[in-house]
Amino acid sequence: MTKTFDKITGIVFLLISILFIYESLQISGSAYGSAVGPKTFPLILGIILGLLSLRLLYETFNSKSEQKGKSNLDIKRFGIILLSAIVYVFLLEILGYVITTFIFLVVAFQVMEKGKITKTLIIAAVFAVGVYVMYVNLLGGNLPKFSLF
Amino acid sequence: MNTFQFLIDGFATALQWHNILFALVGVIIGTAVGVLPGIGPMSGVALLIPVTASLTSGMPTDAAAASSIILLAGVYYGAMYGGSTTSILLNTPGESSSVVTALDGYQMAQQGRAGAALSIAAIGSFVAGIISLIGLVLLAEPLSNIALEFGPAEYFSLMLLGLCAVSGLAGKSMTKALMMTIFGLVLGTIGIDAVSGIARFTYDLPVLYGGLEFLTIAVGLFALGEVFKTILEREADAQPIAKINRILPTKQDLKDSAKPITRGSLLGFFIGVLPGAGATLASFFSYITEKKFSKKPDSFGKGNIAGVAGPESANNAASGGAMIPLLTLGIPGSGTTAILMGALIMYNVQPGPLLFDDHPQIAWGLIASMFIGNVALLVLNMPLVKVFAKVIQTPQKYLLPIIIAISFFGVYAVQYSTFDLYLLLACGVLGYLFSKNDYPVAPLVLALVLGPMLENNMRRALTISNGEWNIFVTSPLSLIFLVIAMAWILVPLILKFTGRKVIVNEEE
Repeated sequence: MTKTFDKITGIVFLLISILFIYESLQISGSAYGSAVGPKTFPLILGIILGLLSLRLLYETFNSKSEQKGKSNLDIKRFGIILLSAIVYVFLLEILGYVITTFIFLVVAFQVMEKGKITKTLIIAAVFAVGVYVMYVNLLGGNLPKFSLF
Repeated sequence: MNTFQFLIDGFATALQWHNILFALVGVIIGTAVGVLPGIGPMSGVALLIPVTASLTSGMPTDAAAASSIILLAGVYYGAMYGGSTTSILLNTPGESSSVVTALDGYQMAQQGRAGAALSIAAIGSFVAGIISLIGLVLLAEPLSNIALEFGPAEYFSLMLLGLCAVSGLAGKSMTKALMMTIFGLVLGTIGIDAVSGIARFTYDLPVLYGGLEFLTIAVGLFALGEVFKTILEREADAQPIAKINRILPTKQDLKDSAKPITRGSLLGFFIGVLPGAGATLASFFSYITEKKFSKKPDSFGKGNIAGVAGPESANNAASGGAMIPLLTLGIPGSGTTAILMGALIMYNVQPGPLLFDDHPQIAWGLIASMFIGNVALLVLNMPLVKVFAKVIQTPQKYLLPIIIAISFFGVYAVQYSTFDLYLLLACGVLGYLFSKNDYPVAPLVLALVLGPMLENNMRRALTISNGEWNIFVTSPLSLIFLVIAMAWILVPLILKFTGRKVIVNEEE
């Protein structure tokens, strides 16, 4: 796992550094005659990042592959929670804070561990409504309201 | 005005009723954060920045900044307290800084001395907290006076030193740590350049003009990263918790731990002041020292109370010591202090030598509140040890989704944009992947905070010198900083080359 990941990160960071160097060169130079303009610092960073990525790739290809015990990852549980979090963000400004937070929490609680529906509903409702009332009514903050109609 | 006068004024700030409340809430949340496995001090502080920002939104800026930093610092040293509880009762350290506490603490719990171990940890933490605060009070003025003499070149080199120190000690691979540091600096250049007003790497996207928000990245990498880790790596069910019978330590216990506490506090304080070396290293060193000083080194690992008292004092003293470079020089030495610094910058307060002149209310208010917070921790924790032991049993089923919800709320309340929420999720996934594959994330956050300042000082120095790069080596102070910075990177490499083992600082 680590070795494959290292290879990928090495390549990704190398690409980022190339992009960064290229983009730094596009930035116009100094505006007021000073020797160093806005492009110097990013350019240096880009070059160092590139060298470090090469170094990482070199280390990765040189090291012997280590056999790691296969860890038991709960991809399904994580996937559902991540997906519902994305949907939550997407719907936040449409359905408002209270509804989306409530639904997200109910889904996430049940994905974590099935059962205890009443307790789940109560905790989710108390959190969603509680945060909204505390923040908007007591502290005068602003959170998205239901805005479909 | 002298230091004493300033300190009295600080107490005047810290003793305002809402600030006492903030300090109390901070240390209680901090203890809970320390007790709960899965949230460390770094994610706890990051998670609470937006919450405090909204709590203090009605106050004038200076007072708001003082109150928030009082709460956040409370979380920081409160977590150091709480971390020992799980080590002793469960043999599962809540933080990396209490790993060594588990060695003897859990053994003591097995022998029915859990209460004594917990209270000695609390007493040690208290003494250490006070000792490091006295050090902070004494060193603050002279250090910030020295720092006032620094020009841009010295500042640039000093920041470089801070970055090198943190990368040099973080994680297993230095290449990876350095990559993370540079990546943080790279991310910090996104947005409108403060000096020339030119947009860099924004691709005409309005959300990027202000740059990537530090808060979003920190909460994502630390808080969400850890939550995702726990969701993915389903852990075995909790073990039974050791019973707490007698809370107060015996006279013999106190006598045995007096010296370890003193040694641990002093050692921890000096290690904490050094950039890069944090509470984890301090507790390790203290354990080794105690073992050397002890008349019965064999009894370590079998429930020797000195093995609890020393390291616990050391990690608390280190967290106090770490405040010194942050407050006086404006250079955070660890991940958590980087986050505290980010919080101050959010309030437009620049930590550094000028902090004590420009915002004495914040600087001395914070120091005074740490005295109050430490007393509160001692008073609260002795009787509440059993309650906090209960916190360990909070079911993850409810805890983890609520942490996600809190971080969403926090980031949205401060940034008011869904772009930041997507960024938050992305950082969470990255944070998990990075730390799983030994890419330390603390240097990234530190670099993100220091990046803009590093660049500005570099450019100012080069403007002064008409573009001559040798300004960084002709100024003697700057040269010294650069040499030390190089040493932080090179010495571990040389040691590794000669086949010696290097102690690295785990994320804290």
